[in-house]
Amino acid sequence: MEQRWANTSRLTINEKQFIEEALRSEIRVDGRRLYDYRRLTIKFGREDGSSEVQLGETHVMAFVTGQLMQPYRDRPNEGTLAIFTEFSPMADPSFEPGRPGEAAIELGRVIDRGLRESRAVDMESLCVVAGKSVWAIRVDLHIIDNGGNLIDAANIAALAALSTFRRPECSVGGDDNQEIIVHDPEVRDPIPLTIHHFPIAVTFAFFQEGNTLVIDPHYKEEAVSGVRMTVTVNSNGDVCTIQKAGGEGILSGDVMRCLRIASLKASEMTTKIKEAVETYNAEVALKKVKRHPSLIAKKITVPDVEMKEASFQKTKELSADMENSPNQTSTSLTTTKDRDTNASIGRPLNWDPYSSSAPAIVSSSTLPELVGTSKDANEDQMMQTDEEYDPNLKKDQIASATGVSSGIHKQNSPPKSLKDAVKPKHKRKKNAERGAR
Amino acid sequence: MEDRTDGRNANQLRPLGCSRNILNRAHGSARWSQGNTIVLAAVYGPKSGTKKGENPEKASFEVIWKPKTGQIGKQEREYEMILKRTLQSICLVNVHPNTTTSVIVQVVGDDGSLLPCAINASCAALVDAGIPMKHLAVSISCGLMEEGSIILDLTKSEEEKLKAFAYLVFPNSPLSVIDKVHSSKEEPIEHGIITSVSYGAMPVSGYFDCLERGRAASAAISEFLRRSLQKQSSDDASRAAQ
Repeated sequence: MEQRWANTSRLTINEKQFIEEALRSEIRVDGRRLYDYRRLTIKFGREDGSSEVQLGETHVMAFVTGQLMQPYRDRPNEGTLAIFTEFSPMADPSFEPGRPGEAAIELGRVIDRGLRESRAVDMESLCVVAGKSVWAIRVDLHIIDNGGNLIDAANIAALAALSTFRRPECSVGGDDNQEIIVHDPEVRDPIPLTIHHFPIAVTFAFFQEGNTLVIDPHYKEEAVSGVRMTVTVNSNGDVCTIQKAGGEGILSGDVMRCLRIASLKASEMTTKIKEAVETYNAEVALKKVKRHPSLIAKKITVPDVEMKEASFQKTKELSADMENSPNQTSTSLTTTKDRDTNASIGRPLNWDPYSSSAPAIVSSSTLPELVGTSKDANEDQMMQTDEEYDPNLKKDQIASATGVSSGIHKQNSPPKSLKDAVKPKHKRKKNAERGAR
Repeated sequence: MEDRTDGRNANQLRPLGCSRNILNRAHGSARWSQGNTIVLAAVYGPKSGTKKGENPEKASFEVIWKPKTGQIGKQEREYEMILKRTLQSICLVNVHPNTTTSVIVQVVGDDGSLLPCAINASCAALVDAGIPMKHLAVSISCGLMEEGSIILDLTKSEEEKLKAFAYLVFPNSPLSVIDKVHSSKEEPIEHGIITSVSYGAMPVSGYFDCLERGRAASAAISEFLRRSLQKQSSDDASRAAQ
């Protein structure tokens, strides 16, 4: 639309000159040094295989999904990996909906080459029945906010999402031994993907005929610079991709310098991603810790700080009462990832319709036997419970949170449905116990 | 009344979450979550010019719906159309004639009541962008069970099982500094209904029950919306100029 041109944010001449002048003295507009990355935040969503990455002002979301499909004819025993990039119009006023533009396609291709063609993700383990059925992994990248350097941020988001993606386990069986049975994730744990190495994309922007180069350009720096180059390397020092599309020429010595800088940055970035994934996996594993089937915890949103203190006292009293109760009380485990998601995006206000009265405190447990629930039936507090939950128990029990050594975590995020809180594979145990009673 | 799968009773809503001003480039942005249904909305505008079929004497709206994965299909187009008409009716369209305001909706999580969540998110994003509006809109989903009882704020599994349900959008009552002279004949503004999308066949009495229940619940949601918008309004600056 013609009127859209009038609305694209274009740099003024003043800004352009300011940025160039500052770079001549090796100063960047946001105060970074030439080879510094902006602050990186990696968050994970509720489901497996969803990640949200913030690199300075740039915001990217990645979703990984898998489907069983027929393989390509020339690779009958390999799975497929496809990357779809969405330059959402919310990221930049100049992004148009509809057909992806050049930048979107370039980004998709660079990430694709880095991940797929460098064999970072193991494709052969995705084969179920050779020639007939393989897993097709699809990575959807949504660019939410364009603060510059989309390729690097999107690459990190894709890697983070792929690291936390779990595909359901499937086995071949049936009458003719050709039928594929996909196991329910609640029956058998889903399997992670095998990732051999982490290709990290590092983008360089060149100014003043290649005299100054910066890493992780801001969108204003990108608009000023004439040349950009993206190098994808992994922590082993292998070069997976180099992308330099047009623009002025760069000396080959400069290219080598870039490769060296990039491999340094790649190892740093790989550590950061792996740490974030480890933390997330640890939280997920903590949630899977054995629970007593009697009472399942439900997270309650605690809106006010004052209420927490009051309720903490209350639960302390209750816990004294509950010592004798045959049905052990348990502590539910908080998921910090959800809380983090809310906390770092703006300042969220969470409102819980359940907490008209003082809610109980939910604490996380390090002891495997203790499983938590907080419920105060007297106060007519509403709670979400698991579908497996026995409705009779709900009315009788008064539970309290037991303090544990790891401390009390105040739950600020909205309670998730029980599917998230309890790894449903323990349903079998609960049912067995209930049957035994 | 039988228990719902997540243990709520019939009139209970899932926990709501609202955060504003989360994106840097967009003029207005908001993230609204109802349980596991999370929607991110961003607003750009007003931009000059209108599209071909639109009335240039009024401000026009353009809605872009982005699903989480997959291609854009008819469902997305339907949501875009409903959202556009709803937003057009709550905004003051004569303030900026011959302009286009773009609302972009990104689905982050879908666990039922997706359209109400998106409408709430877009409303908050419009407020964040400073688009002139008559009043706010709050949206709720109501389902009709077999025995005639109503349940609110449906999850995806409930939507699939129920025979009939509806998404309703009510106006938020405006807070005025001037004491309104209450005319007993006039119905308060909250009793109007902006949008209603129903799925499945339900008896007329059932539909009216849904409306009653939904209207009552919308008071709670609009209270929450007002609180969350007021809290963050302290450090607002006009970003349309950037």
